[in-house]
Amino acid sequence: MRRAIAGLLLLAACTAKDQSADRGGAGAAGPTGARIAAPRTGPANEWPMPGADYANSRYSELAQITPANAANLRASWTFSTGVLRGHEGQPLVVGNTMYLVTPYPNVSYAIDLTTPGYPLKWKFRPENAQAAVGIACCDVVNRGAAFADGKIFYNLLDGHTVAVDAATGRQLWRTRMGDIKRGETITMAPIVVKNKVLVGSSGGEMGVRGWLAAIDVASGKELWRGYNLGPDKDILIGPRFKPFYAHDRGTDLGVTSWPGESWKIGGGAAWGWLSYDPELNLVYYGTSNPGPWNVAKRPGDNKWTASILARDADTGELVWAFQVTPHDMWDYDAVNENILVDLPINGTTRKALVHFDRNGFGYTIDRATGEVILAKPYVSMNWSTGVDMATGRPVLVKEKMTNAAPKVKDICPSLEGGKNQQPAAFSPQTGLFYVPTNNLCMDWETREVAYIAGTPYIGAMAPETAGPGGHRGEFIAWDATTGTKKWGIKEPYPVWGGALATAGGVVFYGTLDGWFKAVDASNGKVLWQFKVGSGVVGNPVTYVGPDGKQYVAVYSGIGGDMGLLIAGDVAANLPYDVRERGSTLPDLARWTSWGGMLFVFSL
Amino acid sequence: MGAFALGVVTTVAILSTRDAESLTPGPRNTTPPQLADTARFVAHNEHIQAGLVFPRDSVLLRNPYEGNADAAATGAKLYVAYNCVDCHGADGSGAMAPAFIDGRWHFGGSPAAVYQSIYEGRPDGMPAWGGLLDRASIWRLVTYVRSLQQGKDVATENFTGKTVERTGH
Repeated sequence: MRRAIAGLLLLAACTAKDQSADRGGAGAAGPTGARIAAPRTGPANEWPMPGADYANSRYSELAQITPANAANLRASWTFSTGVLRGHEGQPLVVGNTMYLVTPYPNVSYAIDLTTPGYPLKWKFRPENAQAAVGIACCDVVNRGAAFADGKIFYNLLDGHTVAVDAATGRQLWRTRMGDIKRGETITMAPIVVKNKVLVGSSGGEMGVRGWLAAIDVASGKELWRGYNLGPDKDILIGPRFKPFYAHDRGTDLGVTSWPGESWKIGGGAAWGWLSYDPELNLVYYGTSNPGPWNVAKRPGDNKWTASILARDADTGELVWAFQVTPHDMWDYDAVNENILVDLPINGTTRKALVHFDRNGFGYTIDRATGEVILAKPYVSMNWSTGVDMATGRPVLVKEKMTNAAPKVKDICPSLEGGKNQQPAAFSPQTGLFYVPTNNLCMDWETREVAYIAGTPYIGAMAPETAGPGGHRGEFIAWDATTGTKKWGIKEPYPVWGGALATAGGVVFYGTLDGWFKAVDASNGKVLWQFKVGSGVVGNPVTYVGPDGKQYVAVYSGIGGDMGLLIAGDVAANLPYDVRERGSTLPDLARWTSWGGMLFVFSL
Repeated sequence: MGAFALGVVTTVAILSTRDAESLTPGPRNTTPPQLADTARFVAHNEHIQAGLVFPRDSVLLRNPYEGNADAAATGAKLYVAYNCVDCHGADGSGAMAPAFIDGRWHFGGSPAAVYQSIYEGRPDGMPAWGGLLDRASIWRLVTYVRSLQQGKDVATENFTGKTVERTGH
């Protein structure tokens, strides 16, 4: 034990030295020897990508705000987006301009940070089919934009990707990627790798056939599209494809692990976050649940739904795949973010990918091969007793299988997962992951369902209740080298907003009932909190303004899947009302209301 | 404008043709279409705009099943068979699409108005089912959907004095 620790320290020292020489900052390994695998290359005072960097660390080197002074944080300025639906996602800050994208109708704004009053440089209102509103399963959210080459790239709910001139707001191109008549919407934040914008589809509840695609930055032309289901040639599986586990190898598994042609409407969307490792040139993402939820319709593993996929960023070729939840019967998508870190584990540095799956396991995976290094529950669960390390497959509890009976009681976690779209953050200083989680359980009732294009293809219902302890969410710190929780802050509602980690030793997150909090990264002590205008489902970012001060910005604006019932009440000409979603979110209407606002804080 | 006028005329023509069919109660086809059949049926009518005047013919748009429990029960089956349930929620509690239980009818709650919403579709993505469902089936759905309302819309929600157990904080 002692020898291992000494080894780690030595390793940490070496890594820190190597990295600090050329990159410094976020590239350096912290005292624990852990480092961000693909640290940002641009200035630390910006927020250039949805997840801060290609690794999705949501970590910033900024350190003006510390545990010692966080109590002095105050609201500096705010901005109303003019849109009331769920504000997932986050701003970008590049070169003293802040870029925002709203939920449908997906208006984008460029805000001048150099001028008092923060005037707009431009506002862009894209053409965006209204019918998409009712095709989106889980509110009309948008998870943000990407910046590259003087352009802003983002997705429209109606299945288009647009490029906008960052200087003028002029639309440069608009490419149709999905078809709402077949249930395809797009809600995810793209990333740009070299000359390609990478985009994935939503619609796992609508009988879609999920894909990831690359679009040429300059022309808007589609360069490749890899489906997540179907024949190998459509998935872009070739000789390079080497899954780590034997049961994941074979020809056309994306067809043969489905009955008949059901893979054509089998879901497996790619609506979550993308990561990229420049050294391996691999793009990582998770795929959604198989459809329909009624499992009688789709015996088999249903590849490659509920899987983590690694593709060559240039060609789209699938290099490895790991099916996190084979034959998913609980709606446990694997879309959650993959955070790329190099971690000291058992005396060696592993090129890791850390993934907090909806199914409740926190996975530490070898990102070069897809081997599961460890998988431990990070929330309460009862559907599985653990992950079989020989196969990577979860060991099932028979009575919690959703086809065990027409109605199955008390399955944990619920279909919202141990966490959902709300992204975690990683700090190389502490070596810990900061994870917004849900603590929900569900009953499951299967019913018949038929496919009708453009309508939901579900075939089950799953009312939710609070998990063990009665709290419905918890913000936790997680050590991915051992699979252990270090501390947690219990919350009355699911923590549906993302996390931000900073070099100042302060971590930030917001809650569904509208508290924005600064927390000591080392021990979870709440240092400061502010009641924002509406529940937070967005992800905080931090930047340095032209005045040299560190700012922290976050969207408030309740909605998203946790706002399903809330969203259902919305029409443009009606009074808005937060409604309680059955037993899932009791009393919420008392604590928050609709509103799309950016809040910006500083010392 | 011309296209709109034509659309209205067409709609009336379809209703008139279908009127005869509705004399024989019972859904023409309660079996949901299979995969291969569907593309031609379902259209999300993006061209349908709010404010388009639907012909309010009181004879055409009287629910033949008003208050008929059997029709409502069949309507409940259609509600599942045509995937209404996954947008509007089990028992009409709402989800991707508006609820039916709260008395807030976004496009009107009269039988004729609900019929019209089902037939025409609505701009936020409600499909136009008039091309897929026969008249009797739509009226059965109308009967079921309207039966879900649990009360009138409430103007005041008073939260004081309520105690709801909250864990956390």
